[in-house]
Amino acid sequence: MSLALGQLLLSGILIGGVYGLISVGLTLIFGVMKIVNFAHGEFLMMAMYATYWLQVLLGWDPYVSLALVLPASFLFGLAVERLVIRPGIGKPHLVVVFATMGLSVLLQNLALFLWRGDYRPVRGVLGETTWILGPFRMNASLGVAFLVSVGVTLALLPWLRFTDFGKALRATIQNRQVATLMGINVYRVFGRTFALGTALVGLAAALIAPTFPTYPSVGLRFVILAYVVVVLGGLGSVPGALLGGICIGVVESLTGYLIAPTLSQLFSFLVFLLVLVVRPAGLLGRRDAVLAEWSR
Amino acid sequence: MTAAGGGGATGRRRGWRLAAWLAGGLLLAAVPLVVRNAFVHDVMILTLLWAAAASAWNIAGGYAGQISIGHAAFFGIGAYTSSILFVDLGVTPWLGMIVGAILAALFAVLISVVCFRLRGPFFILATLAFAEVLRVLALNWRSLTRGSYGLEVTFRESAANFMFAGKRPYTYLALLLAAGMVALVRGLERAPLGYRLVATREEEDAAEAMGIDTFRAKVIGMALSALLTALAGSFYAQYFLFLEPGQIFSFEVSIQLPLICVIGGIGTAVGPLLGALLIVPFSELLRAWLGGAASGLYLSVYALVLILVVLFMPDGLVGALGRRAQEAAA
Repeated sequence: MSLALGQLLLSGILIGGVYGLISVGLTLIFGVMKIVNFAHGEFLMMAMYATYWLQVLLGWDPYVSLALVLPASFLFGLAVERLVIRPGIGKPHLVVVFATMGLSVLLQNLALFLWRGDYRPVRGVLGETTWILGPFRMNASLGVAFLVSVGVTLALLPWLRFTDFGKALRATIQNRQVATLMGINVYRVFGRTFALGTALVGLAAALIAPTFPTYPSVGLRFVILAYVVVVLGGLGSVPGALLGGICIGVVESLTGYLIAPTLSQLFSFLVFLLVLVVRPAGLLGRRDAVLAEWSR
Repeated sequence: MTAAGGGGATGRRRGWRLAAWLAGGLLLAAVPLVVRNAFVHDVMILTLLWAAAASAWNIAGGYAGQISIGHAAFFGIGAYTSSILFVDLGVTPWLGMIVGAILAALFAVLISVVCFRLRGPFFILATLAFAEVLRVLALNWRSLTRGSYGLEVTFRESAANFMFAGKRPYTYLALLLAAGMVALVRGLERAPLGYRLVATREEEDAAEAMGIDTFRAKVIGMALSALLTALAGSFYAQYFLFLEPGQIFSFEVSIQLPLICVIGGIGTAVGPLLGALLIVPFSELLRAWLGGAASGLYLSVYALVLILVVLFMPDGLVGALGRRAQEAAA
């Protein structure tokens, strides 16, 4: 029993790392721009299709295609921010909500129209390799995704702490007005943060493509959990996203085994509602002015 | 409609407007008598049904400013309650839809107690989570909902069963539903509750300072919105006679309602009707013409229109038409 439990914990932590990586981009965008990007899951889906097509057409391994998928995601993020998000900044928040929701529906259905609803598997170089860790086993591709996710999170921390852009970004999270007064061009911060978040979700896409098949609504499966993770971890908190991701992964894995696999999502949502009500600042979030405005 | 226009002019204009509405209504009512084409009836029924459901959403989302993307929950409660009561217990859907509406209103009160401490994106995400919880529950509670096998409502033609052989009765009922909903929202606009909701939307703290119990107003608005959405859900069930959680409690339903409102004009009585008139026939036509090849295409166009409208015409069709009318009058 305890062995099975350990295995479940391990699987939960691994998949949780992936949730964390998907959520890091979302949490940065959420924290800096105070908007919910409802198209985040579709960015993941697009990058997964890019990985798929690079493999089918050019025979590239998902890890190789990162060389193209990462910069393309970044540029795509810049363009979306400029064309869809920027016109809505400073207007009632439902403008950006509906604009990104529209973008989500648009991308999802464009994919459905262009590539049908088929499940498309991508073969990774690791294939079905399994790593043995003492008494436990783990899927190697998922293991790599987890390690990269932890690595990226750890790398982001000093970058946010010490670089000029990192400082500008954190200042904008804390207080947009004061950041502007300090001479920070918050619009430039918005654009780059959005692009960075999109690039991170592109990274996640290439890493999970060998494990999860690609289909038009794959983004929804992950992004709804990513919202949970972002709120759980704390708005704008990078380590919070990883921690929240692992929490949700473990909850999903344990309830899926102990209660019923189909009910595991239910528990993630219940955790979500609980967090929203009890501690909207999340596990590692700080209560800032905007957050206080949203929850009282 | 300025005060300077004088009582006579305003009265005359109101008279004209009423006449125009009546003429439009009669024209719509005459279509089912003249046209026999089943497709036309189908499009009309769907347009009016979505107009009605979007009007219901508009009370919470448009007037009270509580943007919900979880209204599929209420729609589904309505659809499933009347259908399960009919299939399992033989209760007439006419009664079942009232039960469903009451259940939806109660659920809305529960949601409100949890969510109304939240604002902005947090509120939106919480409504999404509630709808997802219901979807997962409906998928798994097989003994009640039949899960993903779907709940089939056996067709037994009878007015008492809310089932008719032809499409014409459904068309009239849909017309009645939509017209009733628009009239109700129009009435709400001028009722004390309507003013309270709008005040809450515009500046919650100021409304509170004016002595409005904003929490209460929001709860009542949400419950009313849920109740009416559930009625539309029951109508949907009676028309299609087949329910499946993935389709009923879906994100698509949740998003369809605000989309229609935004395109037509959010927070206006006729906005949902205009939005549905523009969007639903268009998507049904595209679907019919292009068949399977178009799966995805019509929703893409739909979404593109939404993005453009929300960014560049945030008042929707009503706002754009209203400005045009004002310019013409000036």
